[in-house]
Amino acid sequence: MTNSIDYTLKLINQVNRDIDSYISYMENISSLVVHSSDVQNYLFEDLPEEGREDLYQRIITQFDAVVETREDIANIAVVASNGESIINDGTDVLNEYNVERYLDSIAGKEISLSSSHVQNLIKNNYKWVITLSRSIQSPFTYRQAGVFFIDLNYRIIRDLCENNSMGSNWYIFILDQEGKIIYHPKQQLLYYGLEEERIQQVLACSENHFVANEGGENKLYTMSASEKTGWIVVGVANNLDLMKSRKETQKLYLYTAAVLLMIAVLLAAFISAAVTKPITRLRNSMKEVEKGHFESASIKEISHNEIGSLSKSFNLMTSEIKNLMEQNTHVQEQKRMLELQALQSQINPHFLYNTLDSIIWMAEGNRSEEVIIMTASLARLLRQSISNESELVWVKQETDYVKSYLTIQKMRYKDKLEFEIQMDQDILEQKIIKLILQPIVENAIYHGIKYKDTKGLIRISGWKEDGCMLFEIYDNGRGMDAEEMKHIFDKNKSREAVRSGVGIYNVQMRLKLYYGEGYGISYESRLGEGTRAYIRIPMSRKEGKG
Amino acid sequence: MRLRYLLLLLLAAVVGSALFLYGRSQEKKEVFDIILIPKVIDCDSDFWTQLIDGAYMAAEEYHVRLRMAAPEEESDYERQNELIRWAISEKPDAILLAPISYAENSQAVQMIVENKIKLILVDSDVDIKVQETIIATNNVLAGAAEGAYIKELLDENSQIAIIGHVKGSSTAMEREKGLREGLGEMADRIVDVVYCDSDYNKAYELMMELMETYPDINVVAGLNEYSAVGAARAIRDMNKADEIQVVGFDSSLEEIQMLEEGLFRGIVIQKSFKMGYLGIQAAVTILEGKSVPADIDSGYELITQENLYLEEYQKQLFPFREE
Repeated sequence: MTNSIDYTLKLINQVNRDIDSYISYMENISSLVVHSSDVQNYLFEDLPEEGREDLYQRIITQFDAVVETREDIANIAVVASNGESIINDGTDVLNEYNVERYLDSIAGKEISLSSSHVQNLIKNNYKWVITLSRSIQSPFTYRQAGVFFIDLNYRIIRDLCENNSMGSNWYIFILDQEGKIIYHPKQQLLYYGLEEERIQQVLACSENHFVANEGGENKLYTMSASEKTGWIVVGVANNLDLMKSRKETQKLYLYTAAVLLMIAVLLAAFISAAVTKPITRLRNSMKEVEKGHFESASIKEISHNEIGSLSKSFNLMTSEIKNLMEQNTHVQEQKRMLELQALQSQINPHFLYNTLDSIIWMAEGNRSEEVIIMTASLARLLRQSISNESELVWVKQETDYVKSYLTIQKMRYKDKLEFEIQMDQDILEQKIIKLILQPIVENAIYHGIKYKDTKGLIRISGWKEDGCMLFEIYDNGRGMDAEEMKHIFDKNKSREAVRSGVGIYNVQMRLKLYYGEGYGISYESRLGEGTRAYIRIPMSRKEGKG
Repeated sequence: MRLRYLLLLLLAAVVGSALFLYGRSQEKKEVFDIILIPKVIDCDSDFWTQLIDGAYMAAEEYHVRLRMAAPEEESDYERQNELIRWAISEKPDAILLAPISYAENSQAVQMIVENKIKLILVDSDVDIKVQETIIATNNVLAGAAEGAYIKELLDENSQIAIIGHVKGSSTAMEREKGLREGLGEMADRIVDVVYCDSDYNKAYELMMELMETYPDINVVAGLNEYSAVGAARAIRDMNKADEIQVVGFDSSLEEIQMLEEGLFRGIVIQKSFKMGYLGIQAAVTILEGKSVPADIDSGYELITQENLYLEEYQKQLFPFREE
């Protein structure tokens, strides 16, 4: 509101200054003319006809110059009380019917400024003008002897007001001191009573503005009076429209803000999706890697940004890890194979020596039949032992092997050892790692049967159970107490038993290495009640390792 | 790359929405399309110039799209009928018509209404009543004002002559009727009523004859501009200005000068500016679905030497014109 007032004030003050400058110009001209000796002489001196004519021409030339050069000046004239007149370029004549009324209206005034009116002093003129009149005094009588007047084109004032009215919600009008309308854009409407203007309110108002309510609309009137002319320039702004336009602007801002916000949100979603999607993909891939699924971990969609290069690095890293792990597995495999070979390749030299010793004894005693059996058994045993081509053997082969071994041992221990072997048919065609039954049997002999005074029995049986092969090696030896049971798989114990070549420990290790945890040897035993060793092996894998 | 596209998209969206909103805010409510057909476009005719001015000022005020077409001769009703048909083809919301002829424009006028275009008559009527409203001077009242003024000028021996414009025309009859009403009991002082057919020269001749026939005539009443001015010219030429007082109708520069001169004692003027203004105003009111009176009086004014240069009349008598 204050802004509106300030703005309007600036505007109307400018209008006032412009009008003042026009009026000043008219005043200056009037002063010049009234005091010019030419005019004085022409009006009041008794001059010969020729001299008068010269003077008249001089004045006319001056007047004509003013009217011709100044667009704002409509008329310029001198009217003497005696009926003499000098008007514009000399071609115009007085409208005699209105002179008297005019002279009466300005009588006694040194200088007077009219409101806007139709110029009716000059015949056929009837232009809309604002007239500045100045009385001319006779130098002899010091009485008013004539009038000089100069007309300001009304159009100048109108243009001034129209050009300074901004938009359809603004207008400027001008009143003179008495409240007569000098200019109003809707002057005709006012005169026809089609519209009304708050002229009285403007005149009565002591401040420079007021707000009038008109049919629910607020109008802001801002006024500025000119000290020179006394005219009041009034700027009228339709306040409600101002408010409305402000409201509309606010609405516009609001809409724009809302649209921008929506766009921003969408954009944010886009950008974050663009950023987070590859990151999510990366995270998922990492999880796959964690689970060890290297194949599915590779990121296929690579965008051309930082995340993209990260993804690329990730892919590289993953494949590198995969290679390393494969290499590692291979190395481990190799290592295990070597270990397995190391473990199985040993055949007890004591056993070999003892057996050969027994053969010598038998040969010396001419027990050739027995020598043949024992040597054959030993040969079979050795052949199987040194045949390193495969790690895996048929159960049947393993059974034969252990049978050869037991045959030899039975002959060595005479009738102190008896054995039975009972293998189910359906496991004979299965493959197992070799040299697993013999060491257990050996252990049973050396730690069980050997300490028994009566005849010892070793019973080996194998069957299928729950998708596994189960082998039982039973001896009716002295058995083991709880303490012994505890240490049965110990390395130390095994080392003690190093005579037996391949110890229980080694067998257990090999089983676990090859078949994994969950498989291997378990013992059941009680002191004096014999021992049962169980070997649990999965049914053979389709492809043999090795 | 994609980000740059998105930013461009964003920019486009912002500019687009801003333009859209700006456009919306600039949108005007509803603009009515009106065609004005006066009797004539004539720069020398104050009456029509003012009527057109009034219409345009109202058009500006009510945000009306106003177009105009008129014959070059005030009597060319055939041309006016052509223009009416053209206006109908333009499908405006309303047509503001000042019919030249009471009878000859009726057919075209009927077409306006048949084409569902609102019809508003200004100044003159036609012999069918199909218009929404008519805005005109109440000629009986205006005539009565002339009569009442004349009555004040009369002395006991006064004789009055009336010079009408067109015999049988509605305005002439109404004005004469009003004049007689205004004169009251003094109406019997009317010695003759003649018609000049809106021709200065015929009015001049008629006045010459009247002065001869009735040498004691001292008051002449003109019923329009042609009859009043023609009569006044004759009186001036016969140097009878001091003896015969003229009261005229309508205004022109010549009439005003004769008023200044004293040839005329007074003139009754119509308010054609108001007619044009009220015509558009009524059209807008009707188009907005509201009702207006079937007959709107635009008023008149009695102008004498005394009030000629009063602030409120100057603007009516001397419309501001572009030089």
